[in-house]
Amino acid sequence: MKKKLLGTLLAATLVTSLVACGSAETTTGADTSADTTAAESQAPAADADTSADSAASGQSIRLVNGKIEVDEMLKEAAAKYQEETGVEVIIESMGGGIDIQGTLKGYYQADNMPDIFVNGGDTDFANWTGQLVDMSDQPWVSDTDAAYKDADGKVIGFPYTTEAIGLAYNADILEKAGIDPAGLTSPAAMQEAFETLDSKKDELGLTAVIGYCAEATNLYWSSGNHLFGIYEDGGLSRDDTTYFDLLSDGGQIDTERFLEYAKMIQLFNQYSDPALLVSGTYDQQILGFASGQYAFVTQGSWIGATMTSDDAEQYAAAGNFKVGMAPYAFLDGIDTIMTNSPSWWAVYDNDNKDASLAFLNWLAGDEGQKILVKKAGFISPFKSCSFVADDPFAETITEYTAAGKTSAWHWLGNKEGLAQNALGVVYQDYASGAIADPQSFTDIVAQVCAQYYGQ
Amino acid sequence: MNGLGKKVLSPILLIAGILMMIIALVLDFSGAETTLRGPMLIIGAVLFFVGLYLFPTLRYHRAIVYFIFLFPLLFTFAVTVIIPLILGIGYSFTDWTGIRYTQVVGFANYTAMFKDPAFIWSVLITFLFVALNMILVNLVGFLLALLCTSGLRGGGFFRASYFLPNLIGGIVLGYIWQFVFSNVLIGLTGNISMISQTKSALFAIIVVYIWQYAGYIMLIYITGLTQIPGDVLEAAKIDGASPVQTLFQVKIPMIASTITICTFLTLTSAFKQFDVNMALTNGTGSVPNFLGNYLSNGTQMLALNIYNTAISKNNYALGQAKAVLFFIILAIVSLIQVRMSNKKEVEL
Repeated sequence: MKKKLLGTLLAATLVTSLVACGSAETTTGADTSADTTAAESQAPAADADTSADSAASGQSIRLVNGKIEVDEMLKEAAAKYQEETGVEVIIESMGGGIDIQGTLKGYYQADNMPDIFVNGGDTDFANWTGQLVDMSDQPWVSDTDAAYKDADGKVIGFPYTTEAIGLAYNADILEKAGIDPAGLTSPAAMQEAFETLDSKKDELGLTAVIGYCAEATNLYWSSGNHLFGIYEDGGLSRDDTTYFDLLSDGGQIDTERFLEYAKMIQLFNQYSDPALLVSGTYDQQILGFASGQYAFVTQGSWIGATMTSDDAEQYAAAGNFKVGMAPYAFLDGIDTIMTNSPSWWAVYDNDNKDASLAFLNWLAGDEGQKILVKKAGFISPFKSCSFVADDPFAETITEYTAAGKTSAWHWLGNKEGLAQNALGVVYQDYASGAIADPQSFTDIVAQVCAQYYGQ
Repeated sequence: MNGLGKKVLSPILLIAGILMMIIALVLDFSGAETTLRGPMLIIGAVLFFVGLYLFPTLRYHRAIVYFIFLFPLLFTFAVTVIIPLILGIGYSFTDWTGIRYTQVVGFANYTAMFKDPAFIWSVLITFLFVALNMILVNLVGFLLALLCTSGLRGGGFFRASYFLPNLIGGIVLGYIWQFVFSNVLIGLTGNISMISQTKSALFAIIVVYIWQYAGYIMLIYITGLTQIPGDVLEAAKIDGASPVQTLFQVKIPMIASTITICTFLTLTSAFKQFDVNMALTNGTGSVPNFLGNYLSNGTQMLALNIYNTAISKNNYALGQAKAVLFFIILAIVSLIQVRMSNKKEVEL
């Protein structure tokens, strides 16, 4: 009797556990549109909780955002939009080293695609060929130069901000040293400015002339993407893709141009803070610049946000100095900085696409731009936008744009992983002295690119 | 319940269960909006198993019960291990992008992998790493075990603290040590961190790996050492054996099977080294001239190479092919391990 009772109990437990397993499956199977499963919760700010209950209404769209730092502001915009139209927008932010395309592929396999998601450039967009909505007929298209167009000229990417890559400088220090930043348009002028600053280091309170970091494990994206991108696009007009095309064709390098570029990097190696150069970190680099220890820094306009938030204290102590950007003038007469949308939002072709397009339209309009520019600090890519972000770099970007002195950047279309798996280490070797001179740096970069594109 | 009842009820339940499951699956694949398909699938499965249990046979009744009890585990194992493995081998012969594949490419991925000097380098340093670690981790672990069993004051404390690093996740450990090498020890190496030069970075990974894993191996050795019968040791002592003689002539032969276990544990885990490698150097490091090529992945072990091929280089098919090779290597190692430990057990 006892045995039978035990048997029944065991059987009951088994059945319950089966049902329990099964019901978990059911939930994920049932609302495939917006439910975020446990496996995906590894994305740091994935809002599993908000998405679960909204799926039933059908009045909701989901946006995967690649800039985790503006997560809160986007949610604010989404709340405002819901208030106005009743359509809920779920913001799911990823960042901090998450491989977004990889996660999206996981979503795709799990039939859990977001309605709007971020794409970083040609290679990202190529993943989704034929699955994105053609937005060419949208009203905002005529209002911007920064929309992403595919090979056939169809607009498939919505630009949401503008970033700039240039040689960022501390205007106060340059003024004290008697250097006119407007004149920094030739290698000789850069060389001279660096020497002047170096000789006045103590009196200006500088640790080093420039904060350049070629560390390859965590900062490969700075050297391998942005700085390498200067070779690709520096000084060219926005639609000139000569050197990018050359690279795309089997990883070729124009050695003559690159040699001049290598000499500029050599200058950075020579005058950078040795404690930062080979084994530094991003935080160290930005903090050094924000606290007035470096006159120049080799990072783009995005550091403005860090300077006024994380490093606000040191920035204030250094006098909230004015900043600006000089061109990376490795050839005589280069007078442009590079500006571009760092990534675009694409609309996935599904039943929600009309709601998604309406939301993007709203974002491009006055209400949306107000939040994106004023709160999130984005520099608007839309011509009709009258708001100005109070980012330290906003002014200099606006000036260059107004004067038409901008180049685009095309490194987003470099073969995937080029910076991380190939170039970053070459820059680090050059910085540490393992690669001795500009000529051998040029040769090795040419060899590495050819090899990487040949795979 | 009598025999007749069973005879009627069982087929009804079986058929109803199968039907319900099929309908639920069809609903799911056709993307129908009803939310009832989940419960339907579960109830169908339960009905099916009840029907199976009541199946009117005496001969196979026992086998059926075994099957019912084993089913949840087998099902989970199939879904999470067997099916992905088969799919993965299939994908390695295509140009799969992680989203879709357009054509079958045969062995192209496999030939491409061996033409890539970076991959060959990864394989070589992985073998080097495995060989060094197998020796060093065991040596350090064994010495620590001797120390902890030598009747030292506070032995329990040391035992716990040596084991502690093993409880920290590899990624966290990697970042902690990255900080140590780049910020603390940098004074000794002159502004250039150990982990930014290939040779010293490989050394750094080995150090961190030993730090993480030796404590775990130590625990196994301690178990082995404490299981040596006291009378054997006492007899050795009475016969006048020195501590060194006792160690080499008595203790080590007595724990031979433990040594085999530990060797294979370190072997397989060193092969699969991924998290520390990723967090500490992410595979970076330059090799100026390897087979005439400049390599950027000086410290990239096999597992990290596979991951980077698929994720960062966005070449899922090639990564999958490498993973199949990795699977074959590990399968061979495991088979040898099983053979050897079986032999040892017979001897003892």
